[in-house]
Amino acid sequence: MTVGAIIVDGVSKRFRLERNRPSSLKEAVLRVGRTRDADEFWVLKNVDLDIAPGSFFGLIGHNGSGKSTLLRLMAGIHRPTVGSVEATGRLSALLELGTGFHPDLTGRENVYLNGAMLGISRKQMTASMDDIIEFSGIGDFVDEPVKIYSSGMYVRLGFAVAVNVSPDILLVDEVIAVGDEEFQRRCLKHMDMLRDRGTTIVLVSHNTDLMDECHQVGWLDHGKLVKVGTPGDVVSAYLQMVDSSENTLRAHDI
Amino acid sequence: MQFSLSPSVRKSITLIYHFAERESKSRYKRSLLGWFWSFLNPLVTVGVYWFIFGAVYRAEPPMTGNGNAESFGLYLFTGLIIWTLFTGLVEGSMEWLTSVSDLRKKIYFPTETALLGGAASNLVQTLLEVMVLVVIMGALSNIGWTLVFLPVAMVLALGFGLGLGFIVSVLNARYRDVKYLMGILLNVAFFAVPIVYTPELLESEEIPEAARVLVEWNPVALFIEISRDAAYFLQVPLWNRFLAALAWSVTTFVVGWVFFRKQSMSISEEP
Ligand SMILES: Nc1ncnc2c1ncn2[C@@H]1O[C@H](COP(=O)(O)OP(=O)(O)OP(=O)(O)O)[C@@H](O)[C@H]1O
Ligand SMILES: [Mg+2]
Repeated sequence: MTVGAIIVDGVSKRFRLERNRPSSLKEAVLRVGRTRDADEFWVLKNVDLDIAPGSFFGLIGHNGSGKSTLLRLMAGIHRPTVGSVEATGRLSALLELGTGFHPDLTGRENVYLNGAMLGISRKQMTASMDDIIEFSGIGDFVDEPVKIYSSGMYVRLGFAVAVNVSPDILLVDEVIAVGDEEFQRRCLKHMDMLRDRGTTIVLVSHNTDLMDECHQVGWLDHGKLVKVGTPGDVVSAYLQMVDSSENTLRAHDI
Repeated sequence: MQFSLSPSVRKSITLIYHFAERESKSRYKRSLLGWFWSFLNPLVTVGVYWFIFGAVYRAEPPMTGNGNAESFGLYLFTGLIIWTLFTGLVEGSMEWLTSVSDLRKKIYFPTETALLGGAASNLVQTLLEVMVLVVIMGALSNIGWTLVFLPVAMVLALGFGLGLGFIVSVLNARYRDVKYLMGILLNVAFFAVPIVYTPELLESEEIPEAARVLVEWNPVALFIEISRDAAYFLQVPLWNRFLAALAWSVTTFVVGWVFFRKQSMSISEEP
């Protein structure tokens, strides 16, 4: 497989719901033999998706449609219940606040840890440390434990690491929205740069303007990938759906 | 020819090193004397046990290999080193996995590296204790080539303890009761292993045969016997004991590893 490609093949993902999960050993023992009722929840249903190396792919869909779950499967955090996900090359992911940061470690230690998780040695990480600190703009806070960081600082450092390790694949889940205007612009500029360098980027966002920048957009609805195509087509189909359900709601109100 | 590791193995090694370093640093974080405590701790333990069992209860330890020392403290120490390694691995595993589980929900990395790193750090700690033991034994000139079996006993205990650690850490991620349960079990198990007493003590009419078999053939006791033969009695361990110990160690490690690899992916889905 070529570096930078992502292949999602017939993927379904099931989670067990909290209310159905024994919370103690005692409960688990008491439940042995009892049939588990159908409180299982299919978050993704038979998703097929091929993302070509170097493309910029956007994902949209309502809250809870499974976008973040799909990204997590791509990042290897979860294993699909059915099907397979392959993502080749160095993958860096910004999935949520504090992505991959250990709260007790300082920013700097976390940068090394993140590097280690990507297979980058301490020495190489030291070489890019200045760039990372510079990009994040968090200054001396880099030597404070990250648990005292503000949300924006988390994201800044996370983004700085993610883009400075020359990834083949970059997964971004909304997080940049937490940064201030200046930082958001810088992120977008940097993503453009990575895209020009041939990095495959998958971006989840509710911002439809951002979707226009993508080569392709996928629309998830209740765990099903209902449409994949050019931003224009998919976004307008999505907005149409949102409009029509809004109208039905209004009709109910009256 | 250039020797090169596959990227995933290199990544794992980097991570193991990271976790080992972190565990070692956090052990004596904010302490002035640092590693000095690693020496002091076993020394004081041995001193206290020696005082209570040797001086107060006047327990009669067996003669050492060179036949010129009877020290209950040292008899204890050779057993305690292995026991501490074993329990450190079992209890540590649960802690190491818990400490990375939040991280694992946000980024993929092979979770076993956290346990392997923690184990490496524990092994270094045990090596320091072994150094203390060897120095004392040297001073008593109770030293021989059989010492080579001491690292063997350590590796066997490592395999068994880590194998068990793989299993209990995953169970503990699901049900926190496991930690408390293991705490109690290990407390009981301490007395099922001849550390504070000699196996000969059990050769009395009142003690049922089954109890004696349990004490003599339980895996941790086997590792301890090997370490005692190596460093205290200076004799070659019995081959059937050695084989039993090897079987326990390898089987437990393999079973634990397979179980962990299968189950640890679902850690990211735990609430
Ligand atoms: N670990 C988990 N265990 C159980 N259910 C989960 C788990 N993770 C996600 N879910 C459920 O899966 C569904 C999809 O979640 P997901 O985070 O993928 O949605 P999303 O499309 O990213 O939504 P949003 O736009 O709000 O970010 C939700 O109903 C969520 O509750
Ligand atoms: Mg989401």
